Amino acid sequence: MSNLWIISNTVETAYEMLAKARELVSDSGGSVTAFLNGSEYQAQEAISYGADLVKLMRMPEKTAWEEYVPVLVQEAQGQKPDIILVGATRRGKDLAAQLAAHLDCPCVTECKTIQYDGSKAILKRMVYGGLAEKTIECNEFPLIATVTGRTFSKWEVKETARQGTVSTLALPNVVKMQVVERRPKPKETVNLKDAPFVVGVGRGFSEASDVKLAEELAQAMGGEVACSRPIAEDLHWLPEDRYIGISGQVIKPDVYLAAGISGQVQHVYGIRDAKTIVAVNKNENAPIFQVADYYIVGDLKEVLPALTKAAQEVKGS
Amino acid sequence: MKKIVACYKWVVDEADIRVEGKARSLNFDRIKYKISEYDRNAIEVGASFNEKQGCQFLAVTCGANVEASLKDVLSRGPESIAYVNDGALEETDSSVTSKVLAGIIKKIGEVDLVICGEGSSDGYSQQVGPRLAALLGYASVTFVNKLELTEDGIRAERKLEDGVEVVELTGPAVVTVLPDINKPRIPSLKQILAAKKKTSEKLELAAIGLDSLALKQKTLDVSGTVMERKNIQINSGGMTIEEAAQKLVQQLKADGSLA
Ligand SMILES: Cc1cc2nc3c(=O)[nH]c(=O)nc-3n(C[C@H](O)[C@H](O)[C@H](O)COP(=O)(O)OP(=O)(O)OC[C@H]3O[C@@H](n4cnc5c(N)ncnc54)[C@H](O)[C@@H]3O)c2cc1C
Ligand SMILES: Nc1ncnc2c1ncn2[C@@H]1O[C@H](COP(=O)(O)O)[C@@H](O)[C@H]1O
Repeated sequence: MSNLWIISNTVETAYEMLAKARELVSDSGGSVTAFLNGSEYQAQEAISYGADLVKLMRMPEKTAWEEYVPVLVQEAQGQKPDIILVGATRRGKDLAAQLAAHLDCPCVTECKTIQYDGSKAILKRMVYGGLAEKTIECNEFPLIATVTGRTFSKWEVKETARQGTVSTLALPNVVKMQVVERRPKPKETVNLKDAPFVVGVGRGFSEASDVKLAEELAQAMGGEVACSRPIAEDLHWLPEDRYIGISGQVIKPDVYLAAGISGQVQHVYGIRDAKTIVAVNKNENAPIFQVADYYIVGDLKEVLPALTKAAQEVKGS
Repeated sequence: MKKIVACYKWVVDEADIRVEGKARSLNFDRIKYKISEYDRNAIEVGASFNEKQGCQFLAVTCGANVEASLKDVLSRGPESIAYVNDGALEETDSSVTSKVLAGIIKKIGEVDLVICGEGSSDGYSQQVGPRLAALLGYASVTFVNKLELTEDGIRAERKLEDGVEVVELTGPAVVTVLPDINKPRIPSLKQILAAKKKTSEKLELAAIGLDSLALKQKTLDVSGTVMERKNIQINSGGMTIEEAAQKLVQQLKADGSLA
């Protein structure tokens, strides 16, 4: 019989992982415990989405959530879970790795798939910035795997008849960090995932004011503007929820138009499933052309306004 | 005086890997190595504490083939380097790597602050930093984009999905840094020459108490994820930008890609 855990600081990902956890224990009739940063109500939800036991791990006010690690280590030594799925948020990845070191066990970060037959597990994850996929076998348990949101799907219908128990975990007496301030991020302003047309801004834009060339094209096409990581993180020309790639957003628009983006693997990872990829770059050997359906070799300062004009004409007609 | 260590990984440059054939196997023939991208930020953090606040600053690495990296890393600011170079590390996982690094850091002794990158360019497991913290008994402070030394600890700003968390702690810590924490230097000629005079200490696995290295996971397969794309250049043959733009928009319309 196997014993599965899920740990998450976001409830949606917890519900998704619960469905996967139930699938993984199905043959053995094992139990599923959810460690959740949530309310009593969400604990009940977690039960109806597949948990047998819920242990609330509420966000501490004065210290970091990851400080629960020693408590989890103790719980794990007692309960001996076989597999621990952890929601792959930044907090989750930190907690998972610390837990793995304490339990001296394997941890697979951001796995895409996981199969388990009771004695061995097979997992897949991306490596080399998204250029390749690695298949990993683990025979040692516990096994920890982190999972990003939307990797698995939660049960469509909650089983409200399911019963379970809820308790609350306490923080350890001694913690290492004091949280002196939390500044919430301004609410997300853009939903790139639903935009049919996305224009990607890269370092080929020589100044911030040129971003408007991309905005005008996006507007003419009825779409949104996104960017590469350095545009958001180094230059701060666009907000961080707009950058595409392995450490940012993954999108599937009808058309992705990369302008002034070189096409390095970490960026391309985020547009792999776009229906059509278009690239504009002044370097005729830019790697982005190898992953594009259509491309124009040229200066984006000329090409983007020309595309805007052409789009307006087509839409106007 | 505080003692600071930056951990860097010597990785293959993923831009040189070619995906080949139906089997999508990876060809490493033309591969070059580099200091993992975000580890340059980690090194820069240490270098600046060394230059501005007089901290002692060392670099640490391990791998099967890391000696080629020594000159490069030493030109980026560390006063010296301690490393393990052993064929047994040809294939590693986060568990083994963090044990080796913890061994080196314990050997160095009395390290106040360990700085890692947010994740390595090749594996991007984002595990070694927090694993190292757990093995050393240090605090783990991840995804940091602002870092200050305090009297007896650090103050750090962590960038998380839902906002910024500012933390303070006393005692030693392992910090992982984001690329926006600084702009890594491009070593000057003077720094490159100075690097030649710096010391490097090679440690054997046995010297850090790690004779056997058991991997926690086995790699069954690594295969490229190529995309089938059309690769059509729109503006071939002396076409003007205006004509190319119109042709592209017409093409997208004909494909049914425009709403
Ligand atoms: C672990 C890790 C994770 C990462 N995650 C991400 C991620 O999630 N997302 C991401 O985007 N990056 C990520 N990166 C960074 C990535 O490797 C690249 O550095 C980045 O994507 C490059 O951005 P860019 O294409 O905008 O800039 P550059 O690579 O500098 O490319 C600029 C391009 O613009 C072209 N150009 C210049 N001027 C013009 C002009 N006037 N007209 C037309 N073209 C012009 C140039 O020919 C060049 O091709 C990651 C890196 C690492 C190591
Ligand atoms: N072999 C290594 N030698 C030194 N430092 C490493 C090594 N592997 C990983 N690191 C450090 O750990 C960080 C995270 O690596 P990873 O867990 O592989 O994503 C890197 O940015 C480095 O700072």
